[in-house]
Amino acid sequence: MPKVTINDRTVEVEAGTNLVEAGLKVGVQIPHYCYHPRLTVVGQCRMCLVKIEGMPKLQAACSTPVVKDGMVVRTDVPEVEEATQGMMEFFLINHPLDCPICDQAGECGLQDYSFKHGVAYSRFQYDDKRTYPGRERIPLGANVLLNMNRCIQCTRCVRFTQEIAGTGELGFFNRGARTEIGTFPGKELSNPLATCVVDICPVGALTSTRFRFAERVWYLDKRPSLCTGCEVGCNITLEHRRGDIKRYKPRFNPEVNDYWMCDYGRATFERYKQIPRLQAARLQGSAASASWQQTLDAVHHGLSTADGPVVFLGSPNLSTEEAWLFAQLADAVGSPHRSVPVDIGPERTIPNLKGGITGREAAPNRRGAELAGLSPGEGETIDVDDLILGGAAERCGALVVCDSDFSATAYSPETIEKLRRAKFLVVFGWADSPLAKVADVAIPTPTHAEKDGTFVNVEWRLQKFERAYPAPGQVRPAVDVLVELLARFDPQRWGKLDTPAVFDRIAAALPAFAGLSWRTLPATGVALNVPQAQPTAAATVNPETSQGQGGVA
Amino acid sequence: MSVSEPQPRLTGLPEAVRAEITEIRKRYPTDEAALIPALHLAQNAWGGWLPDEAIEAVAVELGLAPAKVYGVVTFYDLFHQKPVGRHRIRVCTNLSCQLRGSDEIMETLHQELGVDEDEVTQDGRCSYIHFECLGSCDTAPMMMVDDTYHENLTPAKVRQVLKGLK
Amino acid sequence: MAFEKVLTRNVGNRDALTVKGYRQGGGYEGLAQALKMEPDAVIEEVKKSGLRGRGGAGFPAGLKWSFIPKGKDKPKYLVCNADESEPGTFKDRLLMEHDPHQLIEGCAICCWAVQANNCYIYIRGEYTDAADILERALKDAYEEGLLGGSVLGSGFKLDMYVHRGAGAYICGEETGMLESLEGKRGQPRVKPPFPAVVGAFGSPTVINNVETLANVPHIITRGADWFKAIGTDERNTGPKLYAISGHVERPGTYEHPIGVTFREMLEAAGGMYRGGNLKAFIPGGASAPILKADQIDIKMDFDTVAKAGSMLGSAAVIVMDDTTCMVRSVARLSKFFNHESCGQCTPCREGTNWMELLLKRLEHGEGRESDKQLLLSICKNIGGNSLCALGDAAIGPVRSLVEQFPEEIDRHVREGGCPFPHRRHFQNGA
Repeated sequence: MPKVTINDRTVEVEAGTNLVEAGLKVGVQIPHYCYHPRLTVVGQCRMCLVKIEGMPKLQAACSTPVVKDGMVVRTDVPEVEEATQGMMEFFLINHPLDCPICDQAGECGLQDYSFKHGVAYSRFQYDDKRTYPGRERIPLGANVLLNMNRCIQCTRCVRFTQEIAGTGELGFFNRGARTEIGTFPGKELSNPLATCVVDICPVGALTSTRFRFAERVWYLDKRPSLCTGCEVGCNITLEHRRGDIKRYKPRFNPEVNDYWMCDYGRATFERYKQIPRLQAARLQGSAASASWQQTLDAVHHGLSTADGPVVFLGSPNLSTEEAWLFAQLADAVGSPHRSVPVDIGPERTIPNLKGGITGREAAPNRRGAELAGLSPGEGETIDVDDLILGGAAERCGALVVCDSDFSATAYSPETIEKLRRAKFLVVFGWADSPLAKVADVAIPTPTHAEKDGTFVNVEWRLQKFERAYPAPGQVRPAVDVLVELLARFDPQRWGKLDTPAVFDRIAAALPAFAGLSWRTLPATGVALNVPQAQPTAAATVNPETSQGQGGVA
Repeated sequence: MSVSEPQPRLTGLPEAVRAEITEIRKRYPTDEAALIPALHLAQNAWGGWLPDEAIEAVAVELGLAPAKVYGVVTFYDLFHQKPVGRHRIRVCTNLSCQLRGSDEIMETLHQELGVDEDEVTQDGRCSYIHFECLGSCDTAPMMMVDDTYHENLTPAKVRQVLKGLK
Repeated sequence: MAFEKVLTRNVGNRDALTVKGYRQGGGYEGLAQALKMEPDAVIEEVKKSGLRGRGGAGFPAGLKWSFIPKGKDKPKYLVCNADESEPGTFKDRLLMEHDPHQLIEGCAICCWAVQANNCYIYIRGEYTDAADILERALKDAYEEGLLGGSVLGSGFKLDMYVHRGAGAYICGEETGMLESLEGKRGQPRVKPPFPAVVGAFGSPTVINNVETLANVPHIITRGADWFKAIGTDERNTGPKLYAISGHVERPGTYEHPIGVTFREMLEAAGGMYRGGNLKAFIPGGASAPILKADQIDIKMDFDTVAKAGSMLGSAAVIVMDDTTCMVRSVARLSKFFNHESCGQCTPCREGTNWMELLLKRLEHGEGRESDKQLLLSICKNIGGNSLCALGDAAIGPVRSLVEQFPEEIDRHVREGGCPFPHRRHFQNGA
């Protein structure tokens, strides 16, 4: 592999690597706007000009590949610094001074490079500034807003719709200083990945209508997490201010979603704010909130003395660890009646370098929940269809609903009426849904933003997520609560356990997770060793046959 | 300014145009390469300019994204997106013509036609714009009316040419 | 000065518009001869002749042809650059309208040399007459077996088409032209790869100017040595068309041996317009830095003009007398470059716009003396940093204005307006 020297640092790279990427390998950040690792190289912003020994003119780093040994590159010489300053000046002469009202402030390519590579004065006469009258707030579709005055004509957005989304709604119009981006008159930017153009726009020309004027980005606490919108499990950055989520942005994971996520997923955090929160444990009939002691005693009593089958209605929203503990609870009361409901939504494909990843189930962890033991046990069991389509709940001595938000049907009055017929109804969940309100015992749990856990995605990839902020009120991690409950059944076996410890127990118990440990889980996730795992096809798993890959519990 | 629109009301590309485009496609290894010839044909069919529907019709005919075709139309000076009158006048005002009096030609047109640059006369007859070098610097000042060059102009000659435009 | 015309020998001879008439003057002999030679031998002959590109860059034509890979895995193309949009240039139009077969023959020989079976003549959209004449000539050539399935019965297949542009100077840039040919916006590409490797439709492509190709039949029939004997030295050879316009009595296209002096050229064109005094002239199109009157004896070849700080370019000579305001002239050129910038790269898109604004202000007396330094600084930031040569072209006239005519700029500032009276060319509505 050829070697290249950048600012006296030498590195070996794959032949064909461009100088921007080579620079990153040795800690040299060559400024750039139009370059993006997933889009064709156009070399048009001219920010990445570098000096290459032996070449009289400066060269664009993004379009200069390393093919053989001996290239010597410098970015720290006056020639390069002056050129970069010159480019910055050109970018700013027609750019409006919108920073005080622009969403991009604080994460803006012009601000950042201006600070690092620009000059502190302007030589331009302000009244000559070019503007695009009438193009200051053009909706390009439902989710993206264009302010053409701010555009720096890098064409990332146009290339994205052509090459990644494949829909080509955006074009580059006119010529010279009047060039602008837009859609064909009357047509919309409507592909499922539309808001990704906001992510890749270096400036505030393209902004998200959802996030418009929502928050200054320097107040946002940014935490790595996972999207819960569907079974793809896009990696995200969850951005919140004191527990109020303001935005999801995609987080780079080449094994799953690459640099992208869909618009639908971006909106899923709104759900946490739209539905009232269950903030304290509640016993039916008592006005005051119950203590945890009382609550868990009530549950223990209800399950132990159940007059009829004890049934567990799982959820594809549970973390693998929670699901496993629910399964342990089912084992403790000897119940084979477990199942995980599935909501099938529209197909979503997120592009990546492996041909893309497609999801249809509208929840992140059906596979993890089933692997962890919530698929039906031996013999004739009462499953989700029996409960929701049939009337099986009236036969139940106890019905444990593991998640009040288990699917869309959880909110239908019909379903609620049916499930309420169980003699003893326990509902866990973050949502104080109508179902939770009619439960005998309602137990609050955290949202995925408020806990640690793992999800298993459509490609059987296990991914870890960690708590972004603490849960409100008297909410305790479901893992803690379930372990305490289990301890009432078997004090010897269940001491205090946190999520990492639970995961390590799962790894010891289930062959699919063999050899894994919470502390050493790779950041990009790990492919589980299961026969159903297909690298590219979306597996349509039959719940009846997915049970027990190597045994449950 | 009201403009009489003699342009035909077309829905989709006329058959004759589609037939020509099919022939032109054979000259190139990609359909995309037939785009600019196709746009010239469409512009003629629509009376000298390209409304959005014409642009979309060409896009559909060649299987290209409408936004991409729109980008091509707006890039080139010979494609017009608003009515241009029955006759389109382009006056070269680049350096060689400027040195030989192109200003006075523009003045004459303004006087005779009574409209500003890029506006269509009341009777829909013509419009005029200044243009870049048309490659006729030895016969400066000059102008192009539709597809014809009128060279070695004087104000009197301009008036004569205008008289001949119906 | 008995220089025998080569390229313009058929101008005025309407017979030459037909194959029959063209052949009577010895036309298509070059093609017949070339087909009997090895393709590489043809390239060698053109190399030996020292023919340099006549479109503006002056790149050796034979060398360019030799870059085309010999393998058969990809088709090869010739694209003839007939976009001729450099202000002051009109020589290619003359060649196409009066001697289309000379061009067709030159293209055909080049295609044989590089083994290209397809040739597109990319002609600017405004040249409707020339395009029609070429179309008729091509039809004639096909009918006479000079094009098509077997050129002159040799078995070599060659298709040639006219492809009309749609009005954009930047399509005269090689890769801008290729993008436009492929049906896209005429935005130049990042180079490398160069067109010889990845050109039209992803395949190796030669792009040559009309005049360059028009020389080729003569080089084959009369030999490289004959060609080399014309001109200044072995790096500046052959006959050259000079398009002279502006303040001369008889503007037009004149054929001289390359390296004729400007003084001789001016005389041949009838001297100064209305007996005026020479102030300055542009030797090679709008991108060429301006030369002052004291350069009147300069040899108009590539190297001599380059040494004088300018460029021969397309040999479009624009003559200015002392009634001319240099600021107004350069402001107009700046407006041209701003209008024609494709808008892709930052320095050209923003820089040409800025320069036009500054020069407009200066011309109207709203500028400042410090604008001179500012203009030079902008030129420095554009030069060498743009994606294609249009950026470098745009700064040529601006730089030369500030460096050669600073006092004229200062006068505009001091007098709050243009000190040159607006010249009227036509009296009493004549």
